[in-house]
Amino acid sequence: MIHRILVRKYIGQSLLLFLACGTTLFAFAWVRVWVVSLLDMGQFQTILEQFREFEKFAPIDFDALFTYPGRVGMTFDEPIVIFCTVIWCISRGSDVVSGELGRGTLEMTLAQPISRSSLLLSHATVSIAGLIGICLLVWGGVSVGVHFTSITETVEPATFRIPWVNIDIPITETSPSKRSLPLSDRVDVRTYAASTFHLFCFGVFLLGLASFFSSIDRYRWRTVGAVVSVYVLQLVMFGLGKAAESLQWLLSFTFFSCYKPQKMTSLVGEGGFAAPWGLSVPVPDCSLPPLAYPLILLGLGLLFYGLAWFCFRRRDLPAPL
Amino acid sequence: MKYSFFSLHDPNFAERGEATAHEDGIAAEENPKADLNSEISKDYMVVTTHNLTKRYAGFSALSDCCLNVAEGEIFGLLGPNGAGKTTLIRSLLGYLTPTSGGSTVCGFDPQLEGVSVRKQVAYLPGDARLPRHMRGSSVLRFFSEMHPFGDLERSRMIADQLELNQKRHVAFMSTGMRQKLALAVVLSLKTPLLILDEPTANLDPTIRAIVLDFVLEAKRAGRTVIFSSHVLSEIEQTCDRVAFLRQGQLALELSMGDLHQRHRVWGSALDNDVSAPENAGERVVVHRETTMSKSDAENSTSYRIDLAGDLADWLPWLQGLSLEQMRIEPLGLRAVYDSVHFGNENWMEGTKE
Repeated sequence: MIHRILVRKYIGQSLLLFLACGTTLFAFAWVRVWVVSLLDMGQFQTILEQFREFEKFAPIDFDALFTYPGRVGMTFDEPIVIFCTVIWCISRGSDVVSGELGRGTLEMTLAQPISRSSLLLSHATVSIAGLIGICLLVWGGVSVGVHFTSITETVEPATFRIPWVNIDIPITETSPSKRSLPLSDRVDVRTYAASTFHLFCFGVFLLGLASFFSSIDRYRWRTVGAVVSVYVLQLVMFGLGKAAESLQWLLSFTFFSCYKPQKMTSLVGEGGFAAPWGLSVPVPDCSLPPLAYPLILLGLGLLFYGLAWFCFRRRDLPAPL
Repeated sequence: MKYSFFSLHDPNFAERGEATAHEDGIAAEENPKADLNSEISKDYMVVTTHNLTKRYAGFSALSDCCLNVAEGEIFGLLGPNGAGKTTLIRSLLGYLTPTSGGSTVCGFDPQLEGVSVRKQVAYLPGDARLPRHMRGSSVLRFFSEMHPFGDLERSRMIADQLELNQKRHVAFMSTGMRQKLALAVVLSLKTPLLILDEPTANLDPTIRAIVLDFVLEAKRAGRTVIFSSHVLSEIEQTCDRVAFLRQGQLALELSMGDLHQRHRVWGSALDNDVSAPENAGERVVVHRETTMSKSDAENSTSYRIDLAGDLADWLPWLQGLSLEQMRIEPLGLRAVYDSVHFGNENWMEGTKE
């Protein structure tokens, strides 16, 4: 079903975009981890404490961010990471039918003995493989950053705590010392496997949605417009649901509610590496088990791909304009 | 409504024409097309359509189209823009789902067995667009690998014959160069059926001639060709049969062999009332022309006489008419096209006075 020659063509078509997005994400993730090392944890805590009233907009409790894994894990919610992933997904997804129709190349391609299903599947294969690559590059950037970054910690002198009054009394008269250590001593990059998987599922959802719109349209600009409209609408619903208690029900209707990379990071901190992959125990403050959320995104993405296949197989292909 | 020109006017004419070509070896040598006609196998129809209809909201792109294209023939599609030629072709390839009716191509239903159909077909779209990020050579390689009948060496050879620079990126090619590239892709495929939608558009006369040679070569190889064009001379030069489409309807089907046996006689007669011979049936149609030139005398009437069949049979009768300023010309496709275009399918019929 997957056509080797078509796959090669799609790789050629998308290679430049992949290299651009992939390089950006890898470099950004690396630099983002390095920036974490620049800001002392104490200073970071001071800054964040001033925004306590906005904690409800944050994907996790602020307390979870007062750790190196938590701060590095914020990378997966950075606008640049989301932006590059969205660019890859919308540009590739919108290309499959309406893009080729708009360029007029679908006529010649489908004049060859290949089925429409084969064309869609070949395109999806390249797009999803590219998405996997992009997600792995984010994870790779984080890993490289963690391994090549050092942090400086302040070591307070040994103290003795007075029971009942809870006052710490220094045992020695030495002043606090600073010591440097690799970030990898504090952060295990395996923590972000689940976050990477969330990013991938988020991308599959968008790829499926864009492919579905593409399969029923003949203009790529309109496909992109439709997908971006849905994206913005869902984002607004997510924001409103977070902002107003009376609108919390909106959170059930936006796919952003299923994208929880930082939650997965904090789950690893609490329950170990296997914690985000469970399907039995619900996530604290959430109604579903941790693995259910990315699986919902993945399922919706595949559902949209199924709809795209159904519509593309049945539709008339207009002549090039 | 389908009109078969000879079935309408002279059902035995085509058979007689073919018989003549077979029996008269000299005639066949002098007219290579007559020889080609004789090779056409009428047993197997490569393309058949049955009441093929495609309606869109508000208009009908194709209505009740019934066509048969025999193996080994070059079948022309003629009609003005929007007549339904491309809709017909696209329906045959499975791009469009018919509203009603159906078709078979090489024995396969395009709706159910599109891949099997396209294995047997090399198709050149009317506006062939190719991946812009590829070079010409990469495009040739890509399509030769995509099709089971693909032949990279042959497509390169054709591209060279068409004087195409294969190193250039498609994005930087002119319209004519892109057409040549698409032609190199399509003409290299040795499929049983070749469908060409306006293949010579945007090409210079030399390359047009080369393309037409390739079409005739395909026929010599026993392949079937469906050829859509607005250039009537190309259709006359290559096709064995043509179908005229108008407003989505098959207005007329015509064998080119029949057309070559049609003549038009112009002349004026003084005090004579010209009428067709009684035994001629509909093979002779006399039109009294209403437009008079300044040189015409007061009592002279201009006549247009359309003749079907061997001209030699009608010469004694014409001589007896005593027409002045007589002019005999072969009836070209242009006359038929104009008649169909202006909605007069009964162009051979006239007042028999």
